[in-house]
Amino acid sequence: MEEWIQQAQVWAGQAESWVRQQPPEQIYVAAAVVAITILVLIAASCLKSSKPNTIVLSGLNGSGKTTLFYQLRDGSSHQGTVTSMEENSDTFVLHSEQERKGKVKPVHVVDVPGHARLKTKLDEFLPRAAGVIFVVDAQDFCRACKQLQTLSSCRYLYDILTKATVVKKRVPVLIFCNKTDKVTAHSKEFIRKQLEKEINKLRESRNALSSADISDEVKLGVPGEAFNFSQCQNKVTVSEGAGLTGNVSAIEEFIREYVKA
Amino acid sequence: MLEELLIFTRGGLILWSSCRALGGAALKGSPIDALIRSCLLEERSADASFSQDNYALKWTFHNDLGLVFVAVYQRMLHLLYVDDLLAAVRKEFSQIYDPKRKDYHDFTDVFRQLHLEAEARAEIMKKSKQQLITSRPSQNLSNNKTSTKVRGADSTATGGNKKKGASAAKDDSDCADSDKGQENYQPRSALLVKGKENGGPKDNNNGAFDVNKLQKLRNNKKKTVPAEIGTKKNTTKPDTKKKVNRVWDDKPTDNKKLDFTDPADKRGDDEVIDHALVNQGESMMDKDENVSSDSEDEEEEQVQGVPKKKGWFSSMFQSISGNNVLEKSDLQPALKALKDRLMTKNVAEEIAEKLCESVAASLEGKKLGSFTRISSTVQTAMEEALVRILTPRRSIDILRDVQSAKERGRPYVIVFVGVNGVGKSTNLAKVAYWLLQHNLSVTLAACDTFRSGAVEQLRTHARRLKIPIFEKGYEKDPAVVAKEAIQEAARNKSDVVLVDTAGRMQDNEPLMRALSKLINLNNPDLVLFVGEALVGNDAVDQLTKFNQKLADLSSVPTARLIDGILLTKFDTIDDKVGAALSMVYISGAPVMFVGCGQSYTDLKKLNVKSIVKTLLK
Repeated sequence: MEEWIQQAQVWAGQAESWVRQQPPEQIYVAAAVVAITILVLIAASCLKSSKPNTIVLSGLNGSGKTTLFYQLRDGSSHQGTVTSMEENSDTFVLHSEQERKGKVKPVHVVDVPGHARLKTKLDEFLPRAAGVIFVVDAQDFCRACKQLQTLSSCRYLYDILTKATVVKKRVPVLIFCNKTDKVTAHSKEFIRKQLEKEINKLRESRNALSSADISDEVKLGVPGEAFNFSQCQNKVTVSEGAGLTGNVSAIEEFIREYVKA
Repeated sequence: MLEELLIFTRGGLILWSSCRALGGAALKGSPIDALIRSCLLEERSADASFSQDNYALKWTFHNDLGLVFVAVYQRMLHLLYVDDLLAAVRKEFSQIYDPKRKDYHDFTDVFRQLHLEAEARAEIMKKSKQQLITSRPSQNLSNNKTSTKVRGADSTATGGNKKKGASAAKDDSDCADSDKGQENYQPRSALLVKGKENGGPKDNNNGAFDVNKLQKLRNNKKKTVPAEIGTKKNTTKPDTKKKVNRVWDDKPTDNKKLDFTDPADKRGDDEVIDHALVNQGESMMDKDENVSSDSEDEEEEQVQGVPKKKGWFSSMFQSISGNNVLEKSDLQPALKALKDRLMTKNVAEEIAEKLCESVAASLEGKKLGSFTRISSTVQTAMEEALVRILTPRRSIDILRDVQSAKERGRPYVIVFVGVNGVGKSTNLAKVAYWLLQHNLSVTLAACDTFRSGAVEQLRTHARRLKIPIFEKGYEKDPAVVAKEAIQEAARNKSDVVLVDTAGRMQDNEPLMRALSKLINLNNPDLVLFVGEALVGNDAVDQLTKFNQKLADLSSVPTARLIDGILLTKFDTIDDKVGAALSMVYISGAPVMFVGCGQSYTDLKKLNVKSIVKTLLK
């Protein structure tokens, strides 16, 4: 051990004398370069981690997420869509803003498949989300909710609203009622009321479970009162539109609000 | 005639559709969505074809670009050129594909060309085979005879389509010259899959495994045996009722009944049984398993980093250069190793085989990223596939469903079915205990009227849990007992009815008929198949036969199939958890409960991530 220490001391002495020999300007320049590099790295990492700018499109399968994704990006849904097997993820400038002069910040949008078997993909993207758009099929709403044993919109929405990451980071949620161009589509007020009622029921049945409950879930709303979206800690809004016809202005406003241009 | 050829991305955008381009009629229903939901997402992508309504579908992938090519045609037509066409289309399209482009109108002409070429090739093949047939009549005579007989019967049954007659001749030639080149391989297996009702030829020497085939073979082998048992049973049952005890001496016999049923009003040993309501604490259903998930995350982070081991020099070199396109031959050793590993974990052999083929189909042609080895890619793909299969397709929240049924004013009925000795009655009691802990009123229905002691067993459980039980003793029709039990429960405003049935082997025709009668008559909310985790390859057979019988013998068009699985004796297997995977894969039903012990609290939920981890360890 002592030999090592002695050796180290000798080396330190040698290094010192070598450094002393160099002209002072070079040392200052070298030190400055190193310091600047470190500062730049710290600044870059700080900036990257502070602002998540992903918008997550989620909802049951068949609600129209992929159509909306392509509407936002290209302004048309091309030749139609089928059930997605993988997520669509892209960073782009919104189609309606492509004509705008000046610098427009691109937005990273992820369309997560809605099929029940692919539900685990949602957990990959939620931590980085700046906003969640929950797409609901306004036409099919009542039938889907009533069926037993199906993973209905209400349950899916409840799962999203009670995830710890969503509540802690106060991720805003926009409930978008899609397919309002169809005649039999329900109004957004109706859907909002139904969702609140269903989530209220779900909340009560979950509360009836014993205390050693699912730890990832957060209790929603105020116990004793009927559930209301305004009781959530994160902001939840409801709006409507239609993916096929291009009526997606509500989504674009939402995106612009939370991802500053 | 080909109805439609669709090209779409894995993310769901349709790139080109032959219907729209060539102006054909749109498809009825949505067979493509049905294909994705019930086949591709269920890891059955290695199947030869898929049929829905009148349509048959075939598909192929281009894994590197993330494209799927699907061809749809009428099920009754046996088109031979479809696989050929799909391969040609895939090659051509991948050359013009560009991720930025969304419009591929120019592909229409190319497609028309390819279509004509493929049809021409098929015609030539057919003609050449027919020539060979005429030159070799004697060898194929016997084969032809049996298959023509079958085909002839079928064609008369379906109305004698002219095309069918022509295709029948084609089929015979296919059957006879089975070793004649690759082109016959796919169409014949497709024919077998589609023409299931024909009772197709048994000389199947295809490599790909066909579960329907296995089922048919097993049916043929075992059909005679249970039929005998069944008839014997039927004949002996009435006999015992008419038999009189033989009297040897002149002494009169006591004429004791041989039914030792303990009548309900005999409270001889009541003091012993009448403890306070059994409260063994919380059922393990409500406890969440957090232990495994933490270590899970750490492991995942490590895996996403640098690969752990160093491989051989050449594979290392290739993996660094990153230009390696995965071929089937490259995947074989890794897949074989995975398959063996799965089988050591007690996954049924056919299931492991099908899974490996499906993973191969999804990885073939993909470009390896740099610094990744083949085995790690295969491992990740397999892990994703397993998670996808084990994630339930429908909600397994029974409490919520009970609430909805309660609102409608009728009880929620759960029927427990399964083979002998898997633990139906024990786990029924556990489920009752769990439901009681959530303040729901439960009624038991003793529809096992066959096994000695079954009614007493349930009566004991009911007494300990202090819940009502509906029983009618032995030798009664279980369907009628169940019906009356549900009516009684509705009258008493009970929330849940748990129906216990007798264990039965899946080949036992009359018992399976009785079971489907019970289910059809009472239309329960949940049909729970109870299977033990110790079962090996038999799990596949059990579930397929149960589902098949329930579907065949149902009187309504939408038959009730198995809705959920209850996995029992989970504590007896250490890490050989493969039975869960086999059962879920073959039936598509989620595992709702897992029984892990013999006391009331030993019931828990299935933790998908930990099962996947254990399977791939």
